[in-house]
Amino acid sequence: MENNGWNEFEIGAMLRTFDGAIEDIAGTRQEDRNYTQNSSFTASVADWRLEKPVFNKDYCIDCQFCWVYCPDISIISRDKKVIGVDMDHCKGCGICVEVCPTNPKSLLMFSEQTDEESAIAGWPTKEDKEK
Amino acid sequence: MSEMKKIKNLKEFSTSADRFEGANLLCPGCAHSIIVREVLNATNDDLVLAASTGCLEVCTAVYPYTSWDASWIHIGFENGSTAVSGAEAMYKALKTKGRLKQPDRNPKFVAFGGDGASYDIGFQWISGCMERNHDMMYVVLDNEVYANTGGQRSSSTPIGASATTTPAGSISYGETRNKKDMMGIMAAHNIPYAAQVAPNKWKDMVKKIQKGFATEGAVFINAVSPCTTEWKFDPKDTMHLADLATDTLVFPLYEIIDGHELNITYRPKNVVPVEEYLAAQGRFRHLFKDEYKYLIKEWQERVDANWAYLNRREEARV
Repeated sequence: MENNGWNEFEIGAMLRTFDGAIEDIAGTRQEDRNYTQNSSFTASVADWRLEKPVFNKDYCIDCQFCWVYCPDISIISRDKKVIGVDMDHCKGCGICVEVCPTNPKSLLMFSEQTDEESAIAGWPTKEDKEK
Repeated sequence: MSEMKKIKNLKEFSTSADRFEGANLLCPGCAHSIIVREVLNATNDDLVLAASTGCLEVCTAVYPYTSWDASWIHIGFENGSTAVSGAEAMYKALKTKGRLKQPDRNPKFVAFGGDGASYDIGFQWISGCMERNHDMMYVVLDNEVYANTGGQRSSSTPIGASATTTPAGSISYGETRNKKDMMGIMAAHNIPYAAQVAPNKWKDMVKKIQKGFATEGAVFINAVSPCTTEWKFDPKDTMHLADLATDTLVFPLYEIIDGHELNITYRPKNVVPVEEYLAAQGRFRHLFKDEYKYLIKEWQERVDANWAYLNRREEARV
């Protein structure tokens, strides 16, 4: 696949995103799918980011706002719980941080170089609401 | 499988397995993929999809990748709707002849198009699909501009917006003509279901999409899609802009059943002045100069008049 140029592609050809058939795609999670290299799932846009979101599960109430409003399917949610951020597909837009309703927020943007442990260690505490 | 997927709350919705993949090349903070995800996750059935040329199409099918885990066809600017209607007609024919290998799977037919592909270029083709009443759904991702080709105006661009072909400057305030009332036009085809949706009201949206899937016949969906690049706002504010669009009533959320039964599905508790919606976007910045300030007042009057019109229509059932 990788060696084929666009002009070696047969006219009317079909790109298959999986190896073999998946009978019930809507019931098959991403980790159980056998993606081929044609699926953009196997690509990465991590280098688009200037800032990355860091997820702190201590404050998360699993409201799933970040999951539904993430444009890049990068909030990983399993069994109604948020379990992390998919750093290969996150473009660092920051929508998840904006829509997070907790106080303090469970997701915050940090510079790409910050490591997760120090980010969580320095997490802000609860803010008083402005009246 | 044709049972309606039960989605009572967001937690339940979050158990959906996405059929739209990341690492597509849409801008960070693009509302297109949020809308596409909400549409695709509203059903468990198989999908037959098409996308007319536009941001969505060029960004999700860049050689050698595709971001779609469903049958998806890449086709011209104007005929995404027609391709899907053809597939639907073929499906029906094969079903009648009993030649389907899996006759119980009940696929859903959905075409996506931007506002350029729908309001302008593909207009007569969509009209044809609606008139023939194919069992399909057409979803407009309405970002009010040809964002993919560099921000030219479309017939969806509202008055006062600065686009690259209607730039604001010393002698012009930008676009001079008002947005086309696509919902009204499509409903006038007497199609069974037409609805306006916004990504921030996910529940309202999923409800309408499911209603559309359950409807036999053509369904038209107009979805507001805040464009971070051409509306000129910070990518993180996409949902804030969508909130403003619905709460200022610039994009009222309503549905029209059989061309006459209009229901308003969302009434904001606090209606926000249109000025805030305009102020949040770079494309309207020039309206806050003294010489163009009268346009903001006109905007508010237009939005109020439209809201009153929708309310009257809802009451009169016409």
